[in-house]
Amino acid sequence: MTDTQWPIFEVFHQQARGEPHVYVGSVHAPDAEMALLLAKEQYARRQACVNIWVVPADAITASKYEDDDIFERGTDKSYRESWGYVTPKTVRRSDQETESTS
Amino acid sequence: MTDYANPSDLPADLQGAVIDLLLRLADDELIMGHRNSEWTGLGPILEEDIAFSSMAQDEMGHAQAYYQLIHELGGDDPDTLAFSRGPRQYRCAALVSLPNERDWAFCMMRQFLYDMAETVRLAALEHSSFTPLAQLARKLRGEEKYHLMHGRSWVLRLGNSTDDAQARLQAALNKAYAYALGLFEPTGADETLVQAGICPHEDDLRSQWESAVAPVLADARLEVPAHAKPVYGGRVGRHPDALKELLDGMQVVYQIDPTAKW
Repeated sequence: MTDTQWPIFEVFHQQARGEPHVYVGSVHAPDAEMALLLAKEQYARRQACVNIWVVPADAITASKYEDDDIFERGTDKSYRESWGYVTPKTVRRSDQETESTS
Repeated sequence: MTDYANPSDLPADLQGAVIDLLLRLADDELIMGHRNSEWTGLGPILEEDIAFSSMAQDEMGHAQAYYQLIHELGGDDPDTLAFSRGPRQYRCAALVSLPNERDWAFCMMRQFLYDMAETVRLAALEHSSFTPLAQLARKLRGEEKYHLMHGRSWVLRLGNSTDDAQARLQAALNKAYAYALGLFEPTGADETLVQAGICPHEDDLRSQWESAVAPVLADARLEVPAHAKPVYGGRVGRHPDALKELLDGMQVVYQIDPTAKW
């Protein structure tokens, strides 16, 4: 069904200064300023909040789910992880936890 | 000027005037909140429905805080004040009693005019010589600021939208303006309160309010009604019949058994 309401804005919520803005959902609004006002009551009336971002949904470019195979790992990529490396004994003590889980 | 740090510090001759002021503040908030809550489920769009309902709860919370302060000054408890008084004992301005009549433009206009009055009043009360009231004013500032942003946004958008929307908003202003002026009805407590530094004179608040609403209304392509005659009476218990209907509905459950524990 087509959405006959106002345009959609995606909402990002920040719990404390310095924390990342986290995606929490969307609102319908005629413009960005109104989207901020409406988002405040939808997404910040219960949990702590110091800042909100709203982004017009059509400003977002998304990848296609039919192409989600691009995220699959075709070969061993352990060289991209810290656990993929053998650490020399001299520094191993500080790295013991990682070592024991790998 | 003397500051009154605690409710018990208020001299007896000042107590009645302060309670009168608090009742006006509280009753305005409670009835405004109740009227706005009547939009729950009927808002023009889901997000607005939720936002406006949440703001209605804010207003009721503010009313409760003022009633609590009255209670600390020796008055009844908040529930008794809200649910056991008839219209004659209510001190709200007529503006907040007016029925919504499913008129969104009117309700947004009323909200804007009302919230601007709240903003002007709270800013002044932050410097009240009655410290508990000054502290409460600072605590409520954030929520009222948001309410004003919301009302202002609606007024600006409707006013700059279609001719139909603009005409309805102008009609809403024509109706609401004289009632809004009634928010600043002079009372017998004014002189006492001003002299004790509890709050500024209603006339001062009114002129601040007029200069604050005028530019927004102009930006919304609206004309302020000339020679609007303020609607007084609310501060002495003379209300539109609509208040009685509202209270009958609001108080019916409580009155079945006022001693029930909730």
